[in-house]
Amino acid sequence: MTDLARLEVEAARARLSITRMLRAAGTGHVGGALSCIDVVTALYFHTMNVAPERIDDPDRDRFLLSAGHKAMAQYAVLARRGFFPEGLLDSYGTLDARLTGHPDMHKTPGVEANTGALGHGLPIACGMALGLRRIGHGGRVFVVLGDGELPEGSNWEGAAIAGHYQLDNLVVIVDANGLQISGRTADVMNMEPIAEKFVAFGFAAQAIDGNDMRSVVDALDATPFRAGKPSVIVAQTTKAKGIASLEGTAGSHHWKPSAEELDRATSDLQAAVDRLELVGARS
Amino acid sequence: MSTTLIDPRKTFGEAVTDYAAEHDHVLVLSADSGVSSGFGRFKAEFPDRYYEFGIEEHGVTGVASGLAATGFEPVFAAIAPFVTLRNFEAFRNDVGYMRQNVKIVGRNGGMTYSDLGPTHHSLEDYAVIRMIPGVVVLSPQDPGEIRAAARAMLEHEGPVYMRIGGPFIPELFDETPFEIGVGRLIESGDRATVVSTGTITVEVIAAVGALREQGIQVDLIGMPTVEPVDAELIRASAARSGFVVTVEEHYVRGGLSAAVAEVTGDMRIRRAAIGLPHEHITTGTYAELLARYELDAESLSRRLRDLIEAAPR
Repeated sequence: MTDLARLEVEAARARLSITRMLRAAGTGHVGGALSCIDVVTALYFHTMNVAPERIDDPDRDRFLLSAGHKAMAQYAVLARRGFFPEGLLDSYGTLDARLTGHPDMHKTPGVEANTGALGHGLPIACGMALGLRRIGHGGRVFVVLGDGELPEGSNWEGAAIAGHYQLDNLVVIVDANGLQISGRTADVMNMEPIAEKFVAFGFAAQAIDGNDMRSVVDALDATPFRAGKPSVIVAQTTKAKGIASLEGTAGSHHWKPSAEELDRATSDLQAAVDRLELVGARS
Repeated sequence: MSTTLIDPRKTFGEAVTDYAAEHDHVLVLSADSGVSSGFGRFKAEFPDRYYEFGIEEHGVTGVASGLAATGFEPVFAAIAPFVTLRNFEAFRNDVGYMRQNVKIVGRNGGMTYSDLGPTHHSLEDYAVIRMIPGVVVLSPQDPGEIRAAARAMLEHEGPVYMRIGGPFIPELFDETPFEIGVGRLIESGDRATVVSTGTITVEVIAAVGALREQGIQVDLIGMPTVEPVDAELIRASAARSGFVVTVEEHYVRGGLSAAVAEVTGDMRIRRAAIGLPHEHITTGTYAELLARYELDAESLSRRLRDLIEAAPR
């Protein structure tokens, strides 16, 4: 199996894992988790210098999910990557669970920041990038922002810092699924052109199909795009990617499926895993 | 008490700089506020450990969290309302909830930026920050306490907020090591327990001195930690006097008065609180505001006497 095929299988398995959490909690922020999960998979299985056996390594790369409501994507991938047993996914959303609706670094192995309130991830990521630069061992920081959180002014405080301090060990990925609770992001508050805004703050940018693993991997492999500049990847994605009946709907933001809907989503995602495993085995 | 008046900001900045000379992990973050917060020497001596960010207090608070997450100890100082209110959610989540080793210092606290108006006053910082679980709130009372508290703050592993003022202040006490959460008994007497914090204590000491000359003796507790307060010291004194009065340059709601009420809530004692009324206060010189809001020594002496004399013995 090629590396690319392996990553595609991992992303499909992670999507399937999300149904376990949905089954446990009955509800969850599915749309955003499924739109960013290809990026999160590529980061943990391909790009980042992280490993469950050296979780406190000061030189490790850092991952932050500024759009913390997409936590199910991170949990699914962390479990697949061995940061905790996959059985923990079945406790999602239950009393005292270590997997909370938004990431908690003190509860979940591998989580680096307590995000959830939007607009917080990028400034924290800038601080980590500055700190890792001071340490000088090559540590990098990757932060996923949602396009719906871009109107938060603190993102642009962070963007100014990243540009000013030329943080080329910082990679921002905007999960641009184009939808938020109230509807189309462009209608709610138009933040386009996103890439150009970051470029104006001193970033180097690429726009990609964020649900196409080859595009994701190629873009991540090319970071930093320019020496002395932070990188931004504007990942055009589909909200709820992988669950056909939900794809591209604002209603998928926080989904409360019926038992029947969840069963259908689970069997569809299982079929996708089976198909990709078959294709991958032949590659 | 010395009559020489000392710059609290410079005192604070020098103390941090001296500590940082022996602790490489201490960094200073500035939101166009570092030099005016006393860090001129730090910037000159450790330019690569001094980070300027311009005016963006939420962003800097997030950066502080990230730097702490990679093993550094950032100190971020600026005008008090901007590092407690403008950035409050970052303080709560990125620093408090993440339990980061970040030190945030509000200078020109209280109403010391007297003529600049309510945007620059800080009369709710104790209340607001002590609501964040796990954050220590300090308000040292004189230059020696500022120096000692700065060292204690930097030695403490975890988030700390410290308020300092702006106008020059006298040395009140011999400098001793600072213990977070420990008060100091400045005067002794059984008519009341007066608890004071921050630089208003200089007025309270004078007020209590005047009372003593009138034959009214009280316990005066200087409480430079607002969160957590020294419950043991306050309760022991309150048990003797039966009457606790707090004095603070802060709204009477939510700050030292609330902290003291909380730790004495089960005691059958009288309580009173002296501070700022719950309104957007007026402007003027600092001395004029102290007089207007009856927080100067003469007014405090009268108010304390009236409260004590109204109390059943």
